[in-house]
Amino acid sequence: MDINAYIQSGIIESYVLGLSSAEETAEVEMLRIQYSEIGRAIDEFSLAVEEIAMQNAISPPPEVKENIRVAINKKKPVTDTVAFLGENKKEVPVVPFTKTYQWKMIAAASIILFVASSFLNYYLYNQYNNNKEAYQALLSQRETLQVNNQMYQTQLKEWQLAAVMMADTGMATVKMHSIKGKDDAATVFWNKQSKDVYVMVNNLPEPRTGKQYQLWAMVDGKPVDAGLLDPSCVSVCKMKNIPKAEAFAITLEKEGGNRAPNLKAIFVMGSI
Amino acid sequence: MNTGNIYQESELVLLLKQRHEHAFNYLYDHYSGSLYSVIVSIVPDRELANDLLQEVFIKIWRQIESYDNAKGRLFTWMLNVARNASIDAVRSKNFQQSQQNRELTENVYDEGGSIQTNTDKIGLRKIVHKLKDEYKVLVELSYFEGYTQDEISKMLKIPLGTVKTRLRTALFQLKQVIKA
Repeated sequence: MDINAYIQSGIIESYVLGLSSAEETAEVEMLRIQYSEIGRAIDEFSLAVEEIAMQNAISPPPEVKENIRVAINKKKPVTDTVAFLGENKKEVPVVPFTKTYQWKMIAAASIILFVASSFLNYYLYNQYNNNKEAYQALLSQRETLQVNNQMYQTQLKEWQLAAVMMADTGMATVKMHSIKGKDDAATVFWNKQSKDVYVMVNNLPEPRTGKQYQLWAMVDGKPVDAGLLDPSCVSVCKMKNIPKAEAFAITLEKEGGNRAPNLKAIFVMGSI
Repeated sequence: MNTGNIYQESELVLLLKQRHEHAFNYLYDHYSGSLYSVIVSIVPDRELANDLLQEVFIKIWRQIESYDNAKGRLFTWMLNVARNASIDAVRSKNFQQSQQNRELTENVYDEGGSIQTNTDKIGLRKIVHKLKDEYKVLVELSYFEGYTQDEISKMLKIPLGTVKTRLRTALFQLKQVIKA
């Protein structure tokens, strides 16, 4: 290879000035290891270009140095180390940035407003839900109170009626005693004029499921059905009209009652 | 060749790679003027040139790892960083638009917005202007304006091979002029 011709072809200058193609660059870098003349020619031209630049140096404005100092002391992106040749096609510093800055401010402000309003909406929605729940609770509470109130009113009316009835002198009162000697299990009222019968439950045990108390009137030694005790009746319960009776008995029968009493299941008895 | 300088340069590079700030200060004080002249020889707008000088030194600081002193002198590397940044700026759309606007303004009022440099009278570019026209235009377009040889071939309607050999000759001529 004619090294002198190669050196005088302009390839060295082209390489130093960064105008050689990738293949040419690789070729020069390979040959400079083999031929010291090439290395010398590269150094010679590099130094010449450097000297021209040095001789023609123009002092930049002093603030540039300060700007650089500030910039490099900031945290730098790690991704910045790339080969330098023809690499920075993207970042060009000439951007009309006052305009983009304004837009950035507007965008930032609207994002902040949006976030703030989202939070407010969320807060208000929660408040709304809480209030709705509280309101529903109050409504149902009011309903319960109303129902209770009605119930007490009804009970009070029943007791008032019972009191009037008991005060009536034409009313025969029959205390029902249990066979086992327990007193005052119930009281039967029998109106001698109207022949109406009422029962007041005082101390009867709760019937088992499928069972119900039944009242019987003893007429000429025979039991006559006087009606079933309604478990929902809490005060004085009206029974059947019985024209004539010597005694009353309460038995525990199957739910709905029987035609004839189960005499083994007599709970309480009482004679007039 | 001054071996003392080469040793100093490799020491400087080592300190820069270790992120010594005083080494960077030395680098700036020593080379900012010459690199600024390189930028200014390509970018006429002084404000843009200032921004570019800043960009170039930040690049040098951040990319010093990628500099390999076996491949060439530190200044040659920095010069290429400066030239690439300048050409990118000049060839960017924004710059070309602002230049058009400036020319229009100048036609009417005969004054520009910021200080403009006559790039032809700076450093290496001034020397290039001593070349014959047919050589000068090729160095101008490729080195100072950053056109590829393919683009130049189309622009000047000269075959690509001719552009290649003529540019090589032009650069060798340039070396002779510098030596003289």
